[in-house]
Amino acid sequence: MKPSMPSKAIPPPADWRDSGPPARGHYSYAFLDEGAKREIRRKMLKAVAIPGCQVPFGSREMPIARGWGTGGLQLTLALIGPDDVLKVIDQGSDDSVNAVNIKKFVSRVTGVAVTTDTRAASLIQTRHRVPEEPLQPHQLLIFQVPIPEPLRLVEPSERETRRMHAEADYSRMWLYLYEDIVKFNEITVGARYPVLVNRRHLMDPSPIPRWDVAKLNQGQALCLFCAGREKRIYAVPPHTEVEPLSFDDFAFRAEGFGGRRCGRCGSTATYLDEVIDDAGGGRSYSCSDTAYCEKIRRRGGARGADGPGEGPA
Amino acid sequence: MKPILEVRNLTKRYGTGCPECIRLTGPLQETNQCPRCLSVLACREVSFNLYPGEVLGIVGESGSGKSTVVRLLHFDFEPTEGEFRLSLSGNGDGASAFETDPTQNLFALSSFRRRQVRNELMGIVYQNARMGLRMKVSAGGNIAERLLMARWRHVGRMRQRAAELLAQTEVPVQRMNELPRNFSGGMQQRVQIAKALSTQPALLLLDEVTTGLDVSVQARALDLIRSLQQELGVATIVVSHDLGVIRLLTSRTIVMRHGCIVEEGLSDQILEDPQHAYTQLLVNSVL
Repeated sequence: MKPSMPSKAIPPPADWRDSGPPARGHYSYAFLDEGAKREIRRKMLKAVAIPGCQVPFGSREMPIARGWGTGGLQLTLALIGPDDVLKVIDQGSDDSVNAVNIKKFVSRVTGVAVTTDTRAASLIQTRHRVPEEPLQPHQLLIFQVPIPEPLRLVEPSERETRRMHAEADYSRMWLYLYEDIVKFNEITVGARYPVLVNRRHLMDPSPIPRWDVAKLNQGQALCLFCAGREKRIYAVPPHTEVEPLSFDDFAFRAEGFGGRRCGRCGSTATYLDEVIDDAGGGRSYSCSDTAYCEKIRRRGGARGADGPGEGPA
Repeated sequence: MKPILEVRNLTKRYGTGCPECIRLTGPLQETNQCPRCLSVLACREVSFNLYPGEVLGIVGESGSGKSTVVRLLHFDFEPTEGEFRLSLSGNGDGASAFETDPTQNLFALSSFRRRQVRNELMGIVYQNARMGLRMKVSAGGNIAERLLMARWRHVGRMRQRAAELLAQTEVPVQRMNELPRNFSGGMQQRVQIAKALSTQPALLLLDEVTTGLDVSVQARALDLIRSLQQELGVATIVVSHDLGVIRLLTSRTIVMRHGCIVEEGLSDQILEDPQHAYTQLLVNSVL
């Protein structure tokens, strides 16, 4: 199959599975033109300066469809340099189609090394998960975001939500949670749990599970969020307070797995995926963060109450 | 006595405006639309004071600008000109003490600060419950919204307060989790009153609260407002075109026409011995 790019500029490589010949010479380094990169970097600086505030930017056309990670990809391309080591995950997995495609594309247009090891990566692009291993100050975490506006749930008008952010008028969101409690006696928001950043801006942490929300609070690494389709960039700088909305008598609660452990590595303190066996109908559980799971397995499995906090050396 | 609320030269113009606007409109000209630039002056150069614990009535025909004045005070939209000062402190038991600078013109504040002032100090009841209530949120939730604005963060306590208020305003407490959509007009209005009073505002604005209700329901709503007002001693502005409401609730009254104040005085005096020709007409028109 031919790529959709002009065939003269870049001949299709013989084998798509290897990283192919570097496409530089035809494109600028990291695919985006310098003007685009400069704009995105500038908007990122603004986003970092106002934690949690959505900054509009001119989202470019990418060789993947909008909604498939173009936001995260643009940030990655605007930030990446020859010394970086890239890791891309999709729902915790390094090997899903989306992650593999993005990884291949970035390494083709930049030639940077890719890894699955969270510790070894300097740049991590993620869809809907935060890696289990704690991040380091030199690392960057880039989230792909489908819907950047946390208030969209309660207010369809963009003009109105902008006014609400400007005036810190978040009573509608609180009311939504209150009504949830009245109806179901608990907050039923699963992923995309609204958080208050730096005690000022209400932010959508992208559809990460509630399990990961606590990892954003006072983190070591810079977290950048980008929605390509909705054209918004926002950020949580390191050492910033990120607080999930909760009531005094209904505290925020992360998912629990009832003491279950990963069927592959035996971890009990990781976010687990439930896998249903198609043939037998049996259920098994395994770590959603596949790279971490693999690491523990190679080390000989988790013993007792392990936590990603100590992690493998 | 020092007024707690001062309004000076409040003007709201819809249109481009010209230097002749003020001269060419008003009760003498019998219009609020400037014939030269066709701007409409919904209210023009309105000034008045409100004293602690007082109930002030604003009366006038429809289109006289009385609702505009109240909505401007509630920061529902921006005035063209004018000054608005409050010297109040909040006394909501969930909120921290909130005080306004008595010398600060509140219209000059940022919308962020104005929202704070409004959330801490004001309660409003609109003519149409659709404006004051969220029809897709339960009655209890509607009251909780006000409490959440005033930074209440305890569900149990909010529900308790909502139940108290609904009992006080004679809404069946067991219907607290129902949508106000299912309520009658009178009940919706009572939920609105409960919502407005939930944070114990220092200033209560009532915009045509009884219009559209039948007489018996009207009487009960007025009774409720009067008893709550006396109990809480909250300074109140009552807007109505109904002189009965004005007579029952207010101690002092402003008569407005074509966006201007035409007469001002004690309610009894205005109703018994109107001076301005328009007020005389108004009083004589009562069925």
